Amino acid sequence: MTTVTAIAMQAPRPAPHRAWRAALNPPIVIGAAILGLAILSAVLAPVIAPYGPTTIDLSAVRKPPSFAHFFGTDGVGRDVFSRVLYGGRVSLTVAGIGMIGSLAFGTAMGLLGAFGNRFVEVAVSRLIDIQLAFPYVLLAIAVTSAVRPSIPVLILLMVLAGWAGAARVVRGIALQERGKDYVKAAAVLGVPKMRVALKHVLPTIIPSLIVLAAMQMAAMIVFEATLSFLGMGVQPPTPSWGGIMLDGKNYITSAWWMTALPGVALVLTSLALVLIGDGLQRRFNAKGVR
Amino acid sequence: MQSFVLGRVLQAAFIIFFIAVSVFLILRLSAGDPARIRAPVFARPDVIEQYRKDFGTDRPVIAQLGSFFAGVAKGDLGNSFRFQEPVIDLIARALPKTLLLAATALAISLTLAIVLGSMAALRPNSFWGWLSSALAAFGQAAPVFWFGVVLVLIFSITLKWFPSGGFSGPLSLVLPAIAVSLSILPTQLRVLRAAMEATLRQDFIRTAHAFGLRERRIVFVYALRNACLPLITVTGVDIGYLLGGVIVAEVVFNFPGIGELALVALNARDYPLIQGITIVTATTFVLVNLLIDLLYGWIDPRIRLEQP
Repeated sequence: MTTVTAIAMQAPRPAPHRAWRAALNPPIVIGAAILGLAILSAVLAPVIAPYGPTTIDLSAVRKPPSFAHFFGTDGVGRDVFSRVLYGGRVSLTVAGIGMIGSLAFGTAMGLLGAFGNRFVEVAVSRLIDIQLAFPYVLLAIAVTSAVRPSIPVLILLMVLAGWAGAARVVRGIALQERGKDYVKAAAVLGVPKMRVALKHVLPTIIPSLIVLAAMQMAAMIVFEATLSFLGMGVQPPTPSWGGIMLDGKNYITSAWWMTALPGVALVLTSLALVLIGDGLQRRFNAKGVR
Repeated sequence: MQSFVLGRVLQAAFIIFFIAVSVFLILRLSAGDPARIRAPVFARPDVIEQYRKDFGTDRPVIAQLGSFFAGVAKGDLGNSFRFQEPVIDLIARALPKTLLLAATALAISLTLAIVLGSMAALRPNSFWGWLSSALAAFGQAAPVFWFGVVLVLIFSITLKWFPSGGFSGPLSLVLPAIAVSLSILPTQLRVLRAAMEATLRQDFIRTAHAFGLRERRIVFVYALRNACLPLITVTGVDIGYLLGGVIVAEVVFNFPGIGELALVALNARDYPLIQGITIVTATTFVLVNLLIDLLYGWIDPRIRLEQP
């Protein structure tokens, strides 16, 4: 792969197909294929799903996987496969919003931490330390004991749990950039600090942000599932991946498919995102972009 | 060195104080009424009022905050609403088990990270390189609770090798520790692999080869000592994440630690217990981090010498 990239970079005007090939490596292709499938099946859930997500069938309670029910049925005879398809809509949307929110807040804080005044810089880095110090599940327990769990609260928790990681990465890069000549030159010309941060430094962070977005999305899918599994996330009857697995928790000994199979769908989706993130990182490294 | 340690200790104290006050205020200002949860459903108003008096929740928030900190100064975290027992006793019973689980998980993941990461750095295109990439990706993608459930299904229900939950001796540590270790392994594995790759390119490694030292000795003795520093740093940063994973695993495996206690406290709106758990956990975290900072200087004399 590196050689292809190197060739593409050496050629004065690379042929279009060669540049296109250079953008792809096996992890990105495999990851994108799985992710595409996951998104497609969530979007098309009403078309694909063989049953309704909340259709109760008391004559088919806790049936093991079969051709009639790919993932079996749950404690009240709902088709687990259909619920996973519909749950994907909720889980992916919530995780997506949580990812965007935590990245946006994290980037803003990271830039502030590198380009704010002295007091702001110290305050931001302390805040990052405190946030990372606090186990995310304990934070969720503290917040959901104060307010009733709901989707907006879940998204707020995602932003709270995820911003510090992003802020740390952004701040690290921004601090390195701050020492470079172009930033000093801008300061000499009297360009306001925040303008330098947003107009000139932010674009250099974008490759890292793209990698971070993929990784953060995977983390948010896992986060949603974990909190919903603990009863602090998406509340029933709305199906979400974590919630479906919570339904199966009491039947682990007798009906393994209720928790194991929705988990496989979830792991495949977040694995796809991790692969995309890894692949992009590898590609940026090969091109000398951070 | 002394001023460095003092500075870190003061910082640690400030962080713990900040967390304690925010948890206290969040709970008091917006949570449900613990008296209503403790009292029977159709309790008379004066019964509920009596509970409020007993719990001290009828007083202004500032007064509650004051007496709370006065208690903390004396090592008293108050009485649990739910268990009617000193919070400190409940925590003292649960914390050692949680720490044991966390330490076991950490030991597993560090061992795997060091062995697999070194092998992968040495031979990137071998089975080891592939295995460590696969484990790193899988660990990042799989939630602790789901992996825990799968472990129970395979090793407890089907093979009957390990107990499925509770705490009854060392065997019941195995499955939860493996589940938790997988969640912190990816960062450690990646960091050690990258650090080892960089170290193996350095001059002193080439010199060691020239002296005819055996490869195993070069990698696991000389290179490892250098490659370990970033590993220790990320381990310190990930302690919060580790504790999060431990809490989840405790719930899945019915493991009688802090996490299970926290969930019970949450459902009972047991303010003193939630506060106590939060403060104790945050303190543990901060202390571990402090320890790691000091360990850093011990492992790498260059850092110790640079300290003013």
